[in-house]
Amino acid sequence: MDVVWLIPILPLLSFLIILFTRPNLYRKAGIVGTIFTGAAFGCALLVLFSNFAEGNQLVEANWFSIDSVVLTVGVEVNPLNALMLVIVTLVSFLVHMYSIGYMANDERIATFFGYLGLFTFAMTGLVLSPNLLQLYVFWELVGVCSFLLVGFYFYKPEAKAAAKKAFIVTRIGDIGLLVAIFLLFWQTGSFELDVIFESVLAGDITPSMVTLIAILIFIGAVGKSGQFPLHTWLPDAMEGPTPVSALIHAATMVAAGVYLVAVMYPLFSSSETAMTTVAITGGFTAIFAATIALVQRDIKRILAYSTISQLGYMMLALGAAGYTAGIFHLTTHAFFKALLFLAAGSVIHAVHEQDIFKMGGLRKQLPITAALCLIGCLSISGFPLLAGFFSKDEILASTYADGRYVLFTMALLTAFLTAFYMFRLYFLVFAGNESSKAKESSRIMLIPMFILGVLSVVGGYIQTAWFGTFLGDWLETSPYPITVDHPTAPIWLPISAILLSLAGIGLAWMYAKKLRYGERLNPVHRLLFHKYYIDEFYRVTIVKGTRVIGYFWMYFDRFIIEGGAQALIGLVKRMARAGSDIQSGQVQTYGTVAFSGLVVVLLLIAVIGGYF
Amino acid sequence: MGGILTILILSPLLGVIVLSLMPANHSSVKMIGVFGTVLPLIVTIGVFSLYDRTLSGIQFMESYQWFELMTAISPNEPYPVTYDLGITGLSLLFLMLSALITFLASLAALRIQEGVKGFYMLFLLLEFGILGVFSSENLFLFFLFFEVTLVAMFLLIGKWGGFEREKAAFSFLVYNGIGSILLLIVIIVLFVEFRTMNISELTSLLQESASYEFLSGNTRMWLFLLLLLGFGTKLPIVPLHTWMVRVHIEAPIAVVMIHAGVLLKIGAYGLIRFGAGFFPEQLKETAVILAILGVINLLYGAFIALVQTELRAVLAYSSISHMGIVIIGVASFNTAGLQGAVFQTISHGLIAALLFLLVGVIVDRFQTTKLADLGGVASQTPLFAGFFLAAGLASLGLPGMSGFISEFLAFLGLFEAMPVIGSVGVIGLILTAVYMLRAVLAVTFGERKPQFDKQKDLSAVELVSSAILLSLIIWIGVYPAVLSNTLQMARTLGIGG
Repeated sequence: MDVVWLIPILPLLSFLIILFTRPNLYRKAGIVGTIFTGAAFGCALLVLFSNFAEGNQLVEANWFSIDSVVLTVGVEVNPLNALMLVIVTLVSFLVHMYSIGYMANDERIATFFGYLGLFTFAMTGLVLSPNLLQLYVFWELVGVCSFLLVGFYFYKPEAKAAAKKAFIVTRIGDIGLLVAIFLLFWQTGSFELDVIFESVLAGDITPSMVTLIAILIFIGAVGKSGQFPLHTWLPDAMEGPTPVSALIHAATMVAAGVYLVAVMYPLFSSSETAMTTVAITGGFTAIFAATIALVQRDIKRILAYSTISQLGYMMLALGAAGYTAGIFHLTTHAFFKALLFLAAGSVIHAVHEQDIFKMGGLRKQLPITAALCLIGCLSISGFPLLAGFFSKDEILASTYADGRYVLFTMALLTAFLTAFYMFRLYFLVFAGNESSKAKESSRIMLIPMFILGVLSVVGGYIQTAWFGTFLGDWLETSPYPITVDHPTAPIWLPISAILLSLAGIGLAWMYAKKLRYGERLNPVHRLLFHKYYIDEFYRVTIVKGTRVIGYFWMYFDRFIIEGGAQALIGLVKRMARAGSDIQSGQVQTYGTVAFSGLVVVLLLIAVIGGYF
Repeated sequence: MGGILTILILSPLLGVIVLSLMPANHSSVKMIGVFGTVLPLIVTIGVFSLYDRTLSGIQFMESYQWFELMTAISPNEPYPVTYDLGITGLSLLFLMLSALITFLASLAALRIQEGVKGFYMLFLLLEFGILGVFSSENLFLFFLFFEVTLVAMFLLIGKWGGFEREKAAFSFLVYNGIGSILLLIVIIVLFVEFRTMNISELTSLLQESASYEFLSGNTRMWLFLLLLLGFGTKLPIVPLHTWMVRVHIEAPIAVVMIHAGVLLKIGAYGLIRFGAGFFPEQLKETAVILAILGVINLLYGAFIALVQTELRAVLAYSSISHMGIVIIGVASFNTAGLQGAVFQTISHGLIAALLFLLVGVIVDRFQTTKLADLGGVASQTPLFAGFFLAAGLASLGLPGMSGFISEFLAFLGLFEAMPVIGSVGVIGLILTAVYMLRAVLAVTFGERKPQFDKQKDLSAVELVSSAILLSLIIWIGVYPAVLSNTLQMARTLGIGG
């Protein structure tokens, strides 16, 4: 389809228009942004359907050259990125619409929509990239948009710190990706994905090099997708406006890490070590983040840890050869997590409070938000027949089929924890008899939530054992060599998953009343509440360590190098003074100098000329 | 178009002459000063549009017999000293950069209150020297013009600088004086040996005589190391850098714009044009050491920038760090690396000029560059904050801006032969983000200090200047072919990838 290049251009136009007419647009910026991203979504749908009919396509143009190597820019459409495009533009469109209501009272609303447009441009550009250099360019650009939006309330010290942290921690990961790109270039002579995969499969690269490169790429994915140990930035990123959390820190950008592993799948699947690394990191992050989410009090932070945990699920799936499962969960997660964030935003908008222990009984004042939030909670908990149920099942089945039983058990346990913490949140916020003067959000905020709610219910039917594995079959038509498996799980697997999820919900219900009086503070609780003290650990080791090195070199610079330089300058000065001392005006001194000079010159001539 | 380069070099002197005829406190002194830089800019643009990108070799050649040196040793064979001008794609890019930044710096210098006439006269003299350096096709001329920049800079720092201006000026003179002596030694040895100072003749003579019929490998290595030291002082290479930190902190802002934006680049230019051009074999032999030096520069500057409490000091160490990337690119000695080195000099020139332009705004509005005293200015001066943030992001190598392309190419080049050194070096890219964001956010983000209420945002002149620089930074970042087409790296140096 020829409209594919319009998909990134439209949001970019939105950004530029808003940037240059910012003072005049003010509130109308939201409408501009919504229309442009809506159009981009339309284009993405056209591209998706044309991919069903016409297959994959690739268009490239020259960018610049290093000697004989011509670097290109281009757009590529294949099943994986056509799906991503639809997700990104859809969620972006809905978040734009929602923000018209949510941000209505912010005087910097135009700036906000400008950033959203820039982000959507960068994210779609990333997804369309047919080569690693271009992908990296947009990879960094989405990072900087995230930084700008996390720091949107720039006057808040927490927002400033969070924005800085988000940028720096993800950049640590990005460097891994960058090094991988360098190594791949010198191994294959190209940044193009197709050339790279060809070399990998032809065995042109040694297995240990493949493993090294895959793990370096994975480091990039770990940073972006908030996987352990680079997860610390994502909860802090909740300092940004809530619609941003829904778009960037739940549905799209943080999923880019998962997407990257999926894009580079031919490379990853060539290395057993790399696959295991991905699976273990994902599985561990899933349960690790879920335990933290159990005890957090801030509604957005609970969702943030939940996102980390769910992204871990996706990584686990990819590492366990469950390509379809990973992408499938990425899709459904985008719907229900965006929904949950928007619902949280609706609550925050109504009560101006983020501590769930200070809320309660809100189902009466916010009935629609409560209902939609319930759908989101059920979907993420894997309640039967909702979207999350099918995708989570697919992940469990893949992990089990791959024979990774420890990780499988952890994943199953995570399902239980997820149901518990989500419903702990739900019951504390919406159940109970407290009354407050909260007002339900406006229609412009509720409509996007409603659409996401519908998708959170029906989104799972694109890939089920009952109706057909549409998604998997379609993903298999990728231009790149990807093996899509169809794991068959024993019947007890979905049943135990359902039981665990129901048990989690039940436990949350039982504890909801007790919890209302505050949680007991035992050491385990404290450890979880402080997120295993990982932030503190980093602060003492890495952050302090870097500064200490900085101070060391600063004093080295000041005293050793500069001291040496001053000594040198002093020497020059002394010589100059000695020189000027000679010029005392005494004719006798001058005569002496002239005479000795003459003697020396004559001697030299005599010696060189061979007169001796 | 004969003589256009002579016209270009002499064009700033017109301003000097006009200024010298005017009374010191005349109201239009500043205007003349600024117009004095417009003229060279126009001529440079003319040169740029006339330059034929499809041809290889030197263009706009001008060559005249100047005088002859008689020596007692061989009185019948005088050494001819010629006047040669000419440019390659490489020098053309540097000319464009110099003319543009000097023009913008002359606008930033409008804030200078005392000794305006003298300032602009020296300022234009400095431009005369810089344009000469980049147009010389002859080592003798190169050296002459190089010395002109030293004298002009010395006086500009010493008279119009900050509290410790005299110390800074002296430090500048000592280091650069020693650097230029080393350079002079190399020039004399080459002149005695080859009887020519024409750069392209020397390049081909040296490269043809690879069998060392003229100079032994050992001598060449010594000459190369002298060049490295000489230009390394200018670049600067750690530990030859302390003078440059002083200049960054003490010199008037407009002069720092030129210093960081253009003058440091003479070191890079010399290293690429003469170091790599004259002594490619020696460069290859020392590549590993050079690469390590580059990484040390990168990390050393970054670590120290991280703990500075003064914005200008942060930017000074940042410059050191960024020049490390130039060294890395040169050390890798393949097309990607060398292209990266040149891109980095141009890119850093633009970014440093933009950053210091904005530092000038900070000094003007808030009378301090201490990070702890600044903060939260984004709410009062959103335009300034936006440009400052953009400049910071460009400096930390954000894709879509020029800094990314240059860092990417330099490191790509380095990873071909020295992936381990490269892997240590990339840590610098993380540190750059850390110190740059720390500095930028300390100024713009956070709670607003009450004493900064009611500050004016960018004026029209400041806005246009910043916008010009930022658009160039983005243009190069988005469409790097604009540089690589002019540069034709392989052709300029006559080397392959």
